[in-house]
Amino acid sequence: MTRELKIGFVPLTDCATLAMAKERGTFLGRGLDVRLKRYGSWAAMRDALGAGTIDAAQMLSPMVVASSAGLGPFPGEFMTAFTLNLNGNAITVSSALFDLMSKRAPETVLRRPLSAYALKSVIDQRKEEGKPRLTFAHVFPHSMHAMELRYWLAAAGIDPSCDIDLVVIPPSLMVDALASGQIDGYCVGEPWNNAAVVAGIGRTVITSGEIWSNGPEKVLAVRKDWASKNHDIHLELLRALSETSAWIDEMDNRMTVAQAISTPDYVNAPFDEVVGSLTGKNRQTGGELRVDMPDFNVFHRYAANFPWRSHAKWILSQMIRWGEAPENVDVHHVAKTSFRTDIYSEAVKPLGVACPKSDEKMEGTHSHAWLLTEASRPVAMGPDCFMDGRVFDPSNVDAYVTGFAIRTRQNRLGESDTSQVSSLSV
Amino acid sequence: MPMASERTQASSGFSSTSRSEVLAESKSTTGATQVVAPLRVLLIDDDPDRIRQVEEGLSANAVVHTASRMHGRALLDQIANVGPDVIIMDCDSPDRDTIESLRMVAQSNPKPIVMFVDEEGSEHMNEAIDAGVSAYVIDGLTSKRVRPLIDTAIARFRQMDELRNELRKTKDDLAARKTIERAKGLLMQHHGMTEEQAFSSMRTMSQQQGKPLKDVAESVLTIVGMLAGTNTNMGDL
Repeated sequence: MTRELKIGFVPLTDCATLAMAKERGTFLGRGLDVRLKRYGSWAAMRDALGAGTIDAAQMLSPMVVASSAGLGPFPGEFMTAFTLNLNGNAITVSSALFDLMSKRAPETVLRRPLSAYALKSVIDQRKEEGKPRLTFAHVFPHSMHAMELRYWLAAAGIDPSCDIDLVVIPPSLMVDALASGQIDGYCVGEPWNNAAVVAGIGRTVITSGEIWSNGPEKVLAVRKDWASKNHDIHLELLRALSETSAWIDEMDNRMTVAQAISTPDYVNAPFDEVVGSLTGKNRQTGGELRVDMPDFNVFHRYAANFPWRSHAKWILSQMIRWGEAPENVDVHHVAKTSFRTDIYSEAVKPLGVACPKSDEKMEGTHSHAWLLTEASRPVAMGPDCFMDGRVFDPSNVDAYVTGFAIRTRQNRLGESDTSQVSSLSV
Repeated sequence: MPMASERTQASSGFSSTSRSEVLAESKSTTGATQVVAPLRVLLIDDDPDRIRQVEEGLSANAVVHTASRMHGRALLDQIANVGPDVIIMDCDSPDRDTIESLRMVAQSNPKPIVMFVDEEGSEHMNEAIDAGVSAYVIDGLTSKRVRPLIDTAIARFRQMDELRNELRKTKDDLAARKTIERAKGLLMQHHGMTEEQAFSSMRTMSQQQGKPLKDVAESVLTIVGMLAGTNTNMGDL
């Protein structure tokens, strides 16, 4: 007996796991008759998931955390037990802006990962000259793209809430917007960075894996009530995805994946554009460099599918940092109810997939490959460092957030208030 | 939170919106059902058939603006220029996320949104109405249906908005009362004031600065808390 399921996806290269599980018959092998539904926007897919039109969705990891933190529609209704992939985004600026950056600060442009110091210098000059602010785009208010872009900017002293304008643009229209001068740069998934580079209108300055190594990108989101009513189905679904992820992660299979997902049914983009992001070969970064980045997309290795609660907490830390979530939000509760490590562990146990024993880990302490021994079997892990060398301790999110000089202050206390209240206390 | 939406509107420079809202308000208080001011509709669509249908259905007493092939900032600018009473768009339009970002900046749904849905299994979509969409049009559109659909959507949007505001106000009032009580307590504890002195000193400050009492209380909490933090004995009191 097969069970029918509807799963939502968006036409991006990281829909690969869902696409290949269907194409290779892995879903069917687990008794699941899956219909994949393509969506043109994150909000539409979220509403469809919330309304029960679909059973599961390839969702931006921060969207699940946002729901769990009570932000936006469907508060507390979504969860995930499976991270679909790590890394995969990049920041691209217009060629004109990159030329300016190179002229203003040639010494910083040669270093990798490329910091935004050169950009800061350009922004400062524009301020002096009274020119309008530069505009950067990302793909959704609650997205890794928005967080990665802000992190990169702020690490160089650029305040994303007042030094530039931020706007949301659909991924497929980013390149046009850059070409027409509507925007000066963006953070987006592939193939939309590569497309601008190939067309000669943009330069990719940094990849998301260089901002935070192996950060979570998309997750498989489900409704909590669906998961509790369909526990066994959910487990079978996760098993099919785990098996498919392992298969996709074999570099030899990536060409096959690129062929399958570049078709009109999925990403609907030229094979050449899709394959570059899947193999990570000859990627542009730092504006000039061409390097091989085998970890540009990670689907399975490094315990990639494990929904680390430290990942959820880091996402939440950035929401607090930028004033999207209140400072008094219950970080532990949000992470625990949104990133379900327990369900993941239960699902992969019979598959013999090595599973971490701890729900969270320090993020930012490894700049090289390392071995996770606190697991059902030792797991080879990739780096987890941040571009500015910060360490994220998931048990002390408050200190992490207050450690950032640039953030949205939720305390609206001004200087005059301070003196007024001091006079009160006499 | 209303501050944020005011700011968005002000920076976008469409003061005319507030006028039409005032008009709408006065209508609802007099109980008249006829819409007096022409309805401003923004249609985000590339489909010429649908544009024609909406225009035909609304020809009387409405101004239809279209935003075809306008995205990102250009789209937001168009919304600012038009100041629509209602936005109509395709549910699967990629521009949906741009509209979503506008909603998040304003912390609440700034405009009623009517969406077309062209997919099966979407009969439940109207359950997702709180998601910031005021109505889903599920089974196709005809010119005749346009006006009633939009009127219903706007009515429902106002209703939701009122509910949201009421809830927010109740929550805010509760939170304010708590803050003021705590600030009073701190002043009594750490500065030897009586309850009355504590309250009247905060009220005086609130009047002098033209700030809500709650904001003054918040400041007191922060500062007294800070001072207490530097003074080791304060914690024991």
